Amino acid sequence: MFHTVQNKMYHVEILPPKQDTEQLEADLESFSKKYNRVINSGYCACITDNAMGLLGFQGSEIIDVMGLDVNPEKVVIHLNTFHTKEDLHNILDTCKSRGIKYLLIISGDGSDRLPRLKPEDVNAMDVESVTSVELLKYIKDCCPDDFVLGVAFNPYEPPNHEFEKMQRKIDAGASFIITQPIVEKNDRVDELLKKYPHIPVIVDAWMNKKLQILSEAVGYKIPDDETFDPVVTLKKLHRDYPQCGFYLSLLSFKTQFDLLPGIWP
Amino acid sequence: MRIVVCVKQVPATNDARIDPETKRIVREGVKAILNPFDTYAVEEAVLLRNRFGGEVIVISMGPEKALASLREAISVGADRAILLSNRAFGGSDTWATSYVLARAIQKIGQVDLVICGKQAVDGDTAQVGPGIAAHLDWLQATNVNHVEDVTDRDMKVTRMHEDGYDVCELAFPAVLTVVKGINIPRVPTLRGRLASLKSEIPVWGPADIGTDIDKIGLEGSPTRVVKTEPPKPRSTATKKISGAAVDCAIELVRELRLRSIL
Repeated sequence: MFHTVQNKMYHVEILPPKQDTEQLEADLESFSKKYNRVINSGYCACITDNAMGLLGFQGSEIIDVMGLDVNPEKVVIHLNTFHTKEDLHNILDTCKSRGIKYLLIISGDGSDRLPRLKPEDVNAMDVESVTSVELLKYIKDCCPDDFVLGVAFNPYEPPNHEFEKMQRKIDAGASFIITQPIVEKNDRVDELLKKYPHIPVIVDAWMNKKLQILSEAVGYKIPDDETFDPVVTLKKLHRDYPQCGFYLSLLSFKTQFDLLPGIWP
Repeated sequence: MRIVVCVKQVPATNDARIDPETKRIVREGVKAILNPFDTYAVEEAVLLRNRFGGEVIVISMGPEKALASLREAISVGADRAILLSNRAFGGSDTWATSYVLARAIQKIGQVDLVICGKQAVDGDTAQVGPGIAAHLDWLQATNVNHVEDVTDRDMKVTRMHEDGYDVCELAFPAVLTVVKGINIPRVPTLRGRLASLKSEIPVWGPADIGTDIDKIGLEGSPTRVVKTEPPKPRSTATKKISGAAVDCAIELVRELRLRSIL
């Protein structure tokens, strides 16, 4: 992942087709086109797992079913705790068989109606519920040589709690960090970079014009700004965080993707 | 074990409208989903099939668009599905609907167990499951939240009611209606969903299941709806609690206790 960061690679978020789509085959085609466009442009394809609580199909399964090429250095699959143990192992097995190496382990958004890993599923008998920390430990134990595991950092959470949790994630074996989306230089991200200088940090740049959606995603009110320009903001974030790779949340493939080569300084 | 699951497609909205003329729920132009309680019925059937072998068959009475709900059930593990659809079924009340479903179950044959969700979230009657049992003259247990000790002849179930729960033994064939909490329905895989799109789902009409024409549709429905109206919207009020975190927590607990929530 350092290699990836040092090569100034964009990590482009791709949302998988939703479970309730009425045009699954068309959505799969659209997903495949976006995926190939990202990979062929030399960027890293990052596929979400039920982002914002919206049920979607699993990224590794889509790659497998659609027969998409995998460059191990250019694919990151998000994996959250809202799965059965059987599903988890199916996902891990598919990733292994397709050569997918990078997993972003997150607790995830879900509801009571979704299956969720139980502590006994991941050999974590000392906790009441499974978070990214327990899931990460479990994957490290059951597949020690197969994956490079990353974790999320949320600069909107109370800092003491978030940094304490981050330390547990690092202790559990996290090898890279992706932040939650930001729209300007952020003190917590600065602190993260100082605290973990040897761990690659990928800064998530919010690429949607609507800040209201970001507020909903992070659970923290970000003031609306009608003049908010994601591309200008991304350029500024590059200046603020020259040592970091960038994750692009909700990038528009129609209007923003082709601008990317000219953005990185 | 051959298990039949009866499902219903319902409007995906809390903003249900009722036709003032027909007194029926307006379904046109509203996105439809598989009745949420039926997802627990499908999951329980799949779990039982996975443990004891056999087959899960999903049936639904409704218009052609109900095929989507049947495909949803196949995508999470049902083996096959049958749609019961014909203009003659239109206007059926819960008694006529349960008659049609019972006839289809008899036509399928060799059925050990029928599972329904406890009720549909549109009509909220909870009558179709018991109606099927009555038409078939089978044992039934409603509001089941746990199944255990399944043999090839009988099973033990826990059924919930206002004052607690009962543990009952039922000999097969039997009908269960199940509640939320009996399991956590699985999420379809992509392969499951794609397979479901390719599944051929036969459509049966009155002649296929040998229904008595006087017992289906409006003619066969003894229910007469005198008046129907949407419930009054619930009044809501927002109270903002501000101040130090500890004070806010204390105030929140006090407010919740005042409302008997805690």
